[in-house]
Order: sequence, then C-alpha cells, then structure tokens
Amino acid sequence: MFKIIFHRNNCIGCGTCYELQPEFWRMSNRDGKASLVNACKKRCVFIRSVGISVLPQMKDVVHSCPVNIIKIQ
Amino acid sequence: MIKKKIEILSPAGSLDCIQAAVQAGADAVYFGVEQLNMRARSTHSFKINDMKEVSTLCKANGIKTYLTLNTEIYDHDMQLMRGILKEVLKNNIDAVIASDFAVISYCSDLNIPLHISTQANVCNLESVRLYSKYADVVVLARELTLSQIKQITSEIKRQSILGVSGELMKVEVFVHGSLCMAISGKCYLSLHTHNASANRGACFQNCRHLYKVINCETNEELSIDNKYIMSSKDLCTIDILDQIAHSGVDILKIEGRTKGADYIYSVTKCYKEALQSIDEGTFSYDKIENWKTELAKVYNRGFWEGHYLGQMTGQWTSHYGSIATEKKIYIGKGSNYFSKMKVGEFIVEAGKINVFDTIMVIGPICGVQRLQMLKLVVNGVEASEATKGDKVTFPFATKISANDKLYKIFKNRDV
Repeated sequence: MFKIIFHRNNCIGCGTCYELQPEFWRMSNRDGKASLVNACKKRCVFIRSVGISVLPQMKDVVHSCPVNIIKIQ
Repeated sequence: MIKKKIEILSPAGSLDCIQAAVQAGADAVYFGVEQLNMRARSTHSFKINDMKEVSTLCKANGIKTYLTLNTEIYDHDMQLMRGILKEVLKNNIDAVIASDFAVISYCSDLNIPLHISTQANVCNLESVRLYSKYADVVVLARELTLSQIKQITSEIKRQSILGVSGELMKVEVFVHGSLCMAISGKCYLSLHTHNASANRGACFQNCRHLYKVINCETNEELSIDNKYIMSSKDLCTIDILDQIAHSGVDILKIEGRTKGADYIYSVTKCYKEALQSIDEGTFSYDKIENWKTELAKVYNRGFWEGHYLGQMTGQWTSHYGSIATEKKIYIGKGSNYFSKMKVGEFIVEAGKINVFDTIMVIGPICGVQRLQMLKLVVNGVEASEATKGDKVTFPFATKISANDKLYKIFKNRDV
C-alpha cells in the first residue's frame, strides 16, 4: 500500500490527472479543480491509500501534474 | 496637450501592490482570482472572497478595478467562472478582461462591462467591430505598430464604432513589462515540456533560459551570439510615450501581476509623470533619462520599445533574470507602532542594517515607502548597526503591522 497526498488548494484545474486516471480523479464542476475520489481530508490536504498495482500509473500522474501538488508516500 | 484622458492601468497581485499603484497615481488596477487567470501559478493569488476587500480598497481610493478572467476555459470551469462573475456584479468590479467566448457570452448576459484581452489577438478594425457587440474596450495585440494602432483608433472614431455602453470603443495597449516570444502569449513550450499550459496561467518560462541549436545529424552547433534566443527583453515605451499618447489610445497597461509592490510603484509613477508631462508640454530628453534610470532600478531584463516602431525582429536578453540596477533584501517585519510619536518598530530577522542605509517598507496599508536611515535606534539605544533579533525604531508616517516588510536597498553589482 502507498498513500497519495493531494494539495488541492493549488490545483489549476488542467484536468491531466483525470485524463490519465479517471478511476481515481474527478473534475469538480463546483470549483473547477480536481478531486481525489474516496480521499480523506486532513487540513488542506487530501489523502488516500491505494494498492501497489497502480503505482506506475500514479507515478505518471504525479509527473504530469503541472503544479506538482500530487505526492506519493 | 493630449486630447483625451488616458488611463494608467497597473497590475495588482496583492494588497501591497494595490496600495503602491494608488500611491503612484494609477487610474485603475487589474487583478485575477482563483485559477482562471493568466498568473494561476503565482504564489500571491487572490481568492474569490478577496474581491470585496480589493473593490472596497480601490473604491475608497477612487480607482477602477478590472478582473482578469482570460485563461482558456474548460467545461468543468463553467460553474466557477459563473460564480466569479456573480461576485463581480456583487462587488461592483468595473469590468472583466476576457478572451474566451464562454466568458464573453456570460458577461453579456449579466451586463458586465467587458474588456477584450490581448489573448484574443485583436489586430484589425473588423475584429474591433465584432467585439464591440460585447465589449467597451479592446486590448490590442502587442505585435501591432504605432501606425496600425493609429489607423484603428482613427477609424473607430470616423466610423463611430460604439461599444456596449454606447460610447466609442476604447483601445488599450501595453506600455511596460515582460514580453513573450509567442504571438499574444499563445505559447505551448511550457505545455510540451512540463504539461503546464501558459494559456491556463501555468507558464514555466522555458523561453527565459539559455539554449543551443544543434544539428542532430552532424552534431554541429549553430553559432548564435546570444544563447537567450527566445527570451525577449522587456517592453519599455517611455521614450516614445508621446507618440503612443497621440495615437488615440485610451488606456496604457503595465504588465506585472507577479512583480512586487516596489516595481508597481516605480513603473506606475514614471508613466504617470511622463503622461502628465506630455499633457503639459514639458516632455523632454532629460526627463526621459531620469525615468529610465528609475525604471532600470526595478526588475527588468533590459529594455526595448517592442514592435511599436516597426522593428523587424525582437530583441533578446543577454542575462538570465533581472538586470535591475538595484536589489532589495529582506531584513525584517513590523512589530509595533507608537502612534503619538509616529515611530515604527521592526524586528530584524535576516541580514543586518546600518545607519545611512536606504530602506524600503512594503505593506498593505503603507504601500511602498522608501527612506534613508539617518539615525538608527536599536533596542532603544542609538547605534550604527542592527543584526538578527534586534528591534529597530525610526520615524514612520503610517501605522505598521506584522504584514509590513522591511527591506534594505543596495546597488546591484552583477549588472
């Protein structure tokens, strides 16, 4: 298992994470930012634990985020 | 004498910058909120809830406020865009600057005054005529020459092209600030290399770096004198401001929403003085030289006059980053204000400060204040130097708080 840590406040709503991994990400129609599906909110950060099988795909998402707000732990 | 009132429009990335623009005599400021503006990556970004404070501050100082909403807009942005525009109406923001037709259409539905952004690349009268159905102002493309601008402004008048308000369409041009090598900012470099679209305000500024041009087949390097082959010098039109002022334009825009309050203050002040001087008939070579010296002190990559005089190619920088003749370093922040004596107290958090140093205080209430430290009082005792942890006090006209930052100004020896 590993954690995805998403600093949502700084999202610019480019939609790349959703394009690459629609099963984990949604584009919010409310504020135009990405949302991490089934994540827990801790202060301003969203966290979700996922299985190791999606790690390569998630790394692509991390590298594709133009504002570097998605981290893997 | 200038035939009509010309507005100076300054950028505002923070409340400090708005104060600085007010102090320097700006007629209006433009700012962006949330991620739907061309400086979405900026660390100092206004939020939707800040609109009220910005509007109140500007109205109290008698200047107009324009909101930039000029990125590409995706379908998932519509609700946010509509939410922002509803706040625009609620907070009496004077106009919205946009290029996307979704924003243009929604502004039109809500009767919000609209300015067509330079991102729309308006280069001719017919485009102005088209946009006049929706807007009151067009920001012309930065690639136009002065004679092309004159042609457009005179034809607007001759053909009586009216904007939505019923007044003649107004024309806005850029007069100072960073330029981009791409036409009207339509650049995809950053998107290619970092997946960060400049057209969504996330530009990585790839063009500002050194590059080599190498033939991959022969491995030969093309000989280029200046390796900053994509980094344009900054626009500075103070030498030709008289020609611009007489070209029939209505608004002079200063670029720089990511720049500091000191930049906003200096640039706005120089252009305001220059415009007044043109109006009074005292615009002279000596004055231009003085303004250029002042402009060179704040962030710049070297200056050129842009495409206004019809230069065939752009001019490129020879250094990375700024070649400003002055630098400012952070010293500390405000800690107390003794109102009766009008004395401010600052805590030194970095570096040191000496008597006779030139200092600058930047804050949301005081704006930009520059002064020389003729007498230095450290921890209540007169001294010649203050270092980290010391409390320095000196006479200061406006109230200060922890939001006021103290800087030391010194000559930049690297340029």
